[in-house]
Amino acid sequence: MRLLPWLVLAATLLVTWTIWDHERQINRDALRSQFDFALKETVSRVEQRAAAYEQMLRGVQGLVSTTDLKDRVAIHRYVEALQLDANFSGVKIIGIVERVPAQDRAAHINAMRKSGIGNYAIHPTSSESTSALIVQRESAATGSASPLGLDIWPEPVRRDALERARDSGMPAITGKIRLAIDQPSTAPPGFVMYLPVFAPGQPRDTVAQRREHLIGWVYAAFHMSDFMASLYGAQSSGLGMAIYDDVETSDAALMYRSPDRSDSDRPAHAAAWSATEYMVVGGHTWTLSMASQPELEARLGRDATNLIAAVGVALSLALAGLVWLMVHGRARAMRMAAAMTEELRHVAQHDPLTRLPNRALFSDRLHQELARARRDDGRFAVIFLDLDDFKPVNDNFGHAVGDLLLQQVAQRLQNAVRAVDTVGRIGGDEFVVLVAGLGDHDAVYTMTNKINQALQQVFVVDGHAVRVSASVGVAVYPEDGSDELTLTRCADTAMYRVKNANQAGINRASSAPS
Amino acid sequence: MVRFLLTLLAMVCQMGFVHAAGPECLRTYTLALHDHGLLYSAATDSGIDKDVSDELLRRSGCKVTVSLMPRARIWQLIESGALDFSQSGIINAQRDKFASFAWYFSNKYYLLVRKDSGVKNLADFERNEQLKIGTIRSFRYSETANQLVDRLQASNRISQGGGLAPLYQALMVNSIQAMIIEPFDFPALEEGKIRDITSIVEFNDPPVPHGLIMSKKALSSAEQDHWRSLVNAMRADGTLRRIFEKYFKPDLAAAMVNF
Repeated sequence: MRLLPWLVLAATLLVTWTIWDHERQINRDALRSQFDFALKETVSRVEQRAAAYEQMLRGVQGLVSTTDLKDRVAIHRYVEALQLDANFSGVKIIGIVERVPAQDRAAHINAMRKSGIGNYAIHPTSSESTSALIVQRESAATGSASPLGLDIWPEPVRRDALERARDSGMPAITGKIRLAIDQPSTAPPGFVMYLPVFAPGQPRDTVAQRREHLIGWVYAAFHMSDFMASLYGAQSSGLGMAIYDDVETSDAALMYRSPDRSDSDRPAHAAAWSATEYMVVGGHTWTLSMASQPELEARLGRDATNLIAAVGVALSLALAGLVWLMVHGRARAMRMAAAMTEELRHVAQHDPLTRLPNRALFSDRLHQELARARRDDGRFAVIFLDLDDFKPVNDNFGHAVGDLLLQQVAQRLQNAVRAVDTVGRIGGDEFVVLVAGLGDHDAVYTMTNKINQALQQVFVVDGHAVRVSASVGVAVYPEDGSDELTLTRCADTAMYRVKNANQAGINRASSAPS
Repeated sequence: MVRFLLTLLAMVCQMGFVHAAGPECLRTYTLALHDHGLLYSAATDSGIDKDVSDELLRRSGCKVTVSLMPRARIWQLIESGALDFSQSGIINAQRDKFASFAWYFSNKYYLLVRKDSGVKNLADFERNEQLKIGTIRSFRYSETANQLVDRLQASNRISQGGGLAPLYQALMVNSIQAMIIEPFDFPALEEGKIRDITSIVEFNDPPVPHGLIMSKKALSSAEQDHWRSLVNAMRADGTLRRIFEKYFKPDLAAAMVNF
């Protein structure tokens, strides 16, 4: 029973923990699924945007492959007609690259100068067997670009993309580069998308054919930040992202970081959730790294789990406390009831004034002694005792004094007898004594004399000196009777004989006919 | 033409019913390829899928526009009906709702894992929570492999890629420690140092059939049956086996196309 409050506390805390854990799991799952969706969506948006730019560039490719790589006016008008507005804000430059074998360089320079570019020159000088020369740029940007005639073939990052575009016949983008229009110290991350242009009417079904019939490329140059700014759809708040060139997630490879991403390069261990995806754009790998930010985690209800925990613990303690009170209250009530029952039983069996056994309890004791004596062939005595001259005490000194006298008489009687004996009060001034386990005849007389002597002493009650005497009747088992009724009647009769003789004394029942 | 009709006759005798010779070309169809090892290389515009699709389109006599897309986009467009065909797809309950297939080869799946991860079997990999696996977005595999991937997804141990090449790159720099591969992914292992630093663990699942993917939304059942019959003809007359023998040893090629 005492353990019950603790068991209740343990059980309710367990329930609280279960609910808290369940809620936490739900939050985790919600966060993960929101995160997975945002990742998938972001990848999709980037791929779509790249496809949109690719489609735009295919238009230029289509024009160039049907007219001429060198029709500068047509190309210029076409690009103007494209109306590259804010939707295409990522594009910084649209340009044309011409492939010129080493042996044709001189002729090429002449042709370019004749077409109106007076100071056209190939730079840097290269010993490669072929050149890829920028022969036209259309740009919305104002910035000093290096002059036309720039040979980009020797530059390894651009060269890789140029070759991939040529061999596949499809768009190819470069790794992270500084655009030619940017200054080295302030250049933001950029990349270039190339589409190959083949000689009209020539087969281009195999790599070898494509290599043979390639005449140049069209390209679009991008600043990564503007490319990302032109994505459709909204960036989920609470998710920070970064894009790296290739698979290395280092500062050198960083191409883009979203505004709400924390400064540290690798927040993965601080975020509740993070993931990496490897996108393929234009045959090139971009690593997208996404991490949840504190505001997303908070929004998904970490507070709810704290609330559940707090309320759950409080309720558990309250419930356990209530059970404790109930358990102890019951125990207290039980104790009180037991005490009261005991009190009642005592009252039912004892005289309230003298606290001596009453008639009922005495009778009980007598029965027990009778049974014992019958069994053991023993002997006991019943002594009836009536106080003489008690009434005058009440009349002269009042009932209060009378009561006190009775109490003192009771006390003296109890002191006179042994522990095995019982003194009872059966009437106003009538007492009875059960003398158990008598040895011989004389023993009863010893007892009665002792009682008499005790009563003969002066009583001092409430300042008054009082003398009493008693009429005593004795009945002995088995001589004077073998059952309660006979014994008590005999003792009673013997007592009255003494009383009627009008003097204190002891009378033995059997000494006179009953 | 004669050869074609003979093949057709043989098929009719086997199947016991008559059908028209090849699909009707109701319109220009669209077919998408995805860059994936020997199946198709965008860099060289060649591969098994390219050879199979070239032969299939030639036999059909239909006009088909072929383009290159990431696999995830292919499945999306097959489902929406914007794309008619793609290749080398496998079926599952979800895909069965929007795609039907014409099988032309089958193969098992393998876990390619870095040697320095200390992984000897699948249980080793799953037990070590530090290890990450790379998968291609929207790819599904054999039964055991799918279950492994789904469990690892739940504990955020998957990094996805848009294709095979970035996963190999990530494996080389130890951003991921394993990836799931098929026989036509193998030749990339010859290049670079991948073969030196990795080992292979088999998934003990039976080989999974791969086939021509047809959009149920874009193509009627009759059209699907027509195209399926073309694929079956290519299997029956050994064309498929010859294509596969260009890329694999004869016994492996035979194992893949005979199922």
